[in-house]
Amino acid sequence: MKAGVSLAATLPDDWVNGLIRRVAQDNAIRHIPVGREAETIAICAGAFFGGVRAVAIIGNTGLLTCTGEMATLCLRHAIPVFCIVSARGSIDDHMVYQEVQGRRTIPLLQAYDFPYRVIDREDEIETIPDAYQWHRLQKRPFALFLTKNLLRSRRA
Amino acid sequence: MKTGDAMKVLAKHRGDAIVVCALGTAANGWWAATRSEDSFYMHGAMGFAASFALGLAAAIPRAPVWVLNSDGSLCMNLGCLLTEAGQQPGNLKHFVVDNQCYQTVSNMPMVNRDGADYAAIARGAGIARAISIDTVHDLDRRMPEINAAPGPYFIHLRVEAEDDYQRPPPFSYEGPEMKYRFGRAMEKRFGIEVFGPTGF
Repeated sequence: MKAGVSLAATLPDDWVNGLIRRVAQDNAIRHIPVGREAETIAICAGAFFGGVRAVAIIGNTGLLTCTGEMATLCLRHAIPVFCIVSARGSIDDHMVYQEVQGRRTIPLLQAYDFPYRVIDREDEIETIPDAYQWHRLQKRPFALFLTKNLLRSRRA
Repeated sequence: MKTGDAMKVLAKHRGDAIVVCALGTAANGWWAATRSEDSFYMHGAMGFAASFALGLAAAIPRAPVWVLNSDGSLCMNLGCLLTEAGQQPGNLKHFVVDNQCYQTVSNMPMVNRDGADYAAIARGAGIARAISIDTVHDLDRRMPEINAAPGPYFIHLRVEAEDDYQRPPPFSYEGPEMKYRFGRAMEKRFGIEVFGPTGF
């Protein structure tokens, strides 16, 4: 991975399961499946102090559950954590239990001043290493949302 | 066993372990016993010191890592035991200081404090080496074996609740300074790059 990531803490969501399977098969990445998404935040924070570039791969619902830990661990100590998140609840997601996340996650991130970026097209993928470096400079959690459109095209 | 006495024994046997402390009694007790500035004291995310320590242990597999957890913190993230068992980190030792109460918030009682068996829970999660210790003498006697054994190793320390607790964190630094002191200590000790050439 061009961003130099060698550790990924993950919890499945339909849209990012393909990415998680690829991570699990990649011998260059230490894969840590977890039981609750907030663990991914703390695992990545710990890995940061070991000099390892880490990512959390989770669903939008999971990100919503992590905001307390993102605030009291990462904001409190100014620790960058890079989250790759399914953009569930978008206009093309008609799963009823994703609806609230689609409307409220980004406003919540804005309230915390957690930066984020939505990746919708293949040609935007090459910006991810820049985003990774930028989140380290920001010294706080960062959410990279992957849209249904992007993930559909990557499966094709 | 008093928390302070347990911490003194742990400090005696620490060797070169990196120590991560859950906020509250564990962190305050370790600071009181060691004044260690190359330990990480969580100032938030109650329950997730164990996850933080797992990430650190995975990142530096050649280094022994201890997490000094507490009963209140463990119960906020019992799933950490499943994650830890799934990884089987050979360099991680997981201590839980169990005073059966939320000591830094007026000794309010822990949920189901008379019925919980944390070592059994850890074994049930898949951590085969899981024990309970309730005296300073036993802790001192068993520490060489605990240090020598591969992780994951779960050590439940039954301590007394104490009225003379310290409510505010005792550390003389906090927040970002905690990050930089700990990160610089890791860089210096392991020759790794935590912050990069321009400091972030």
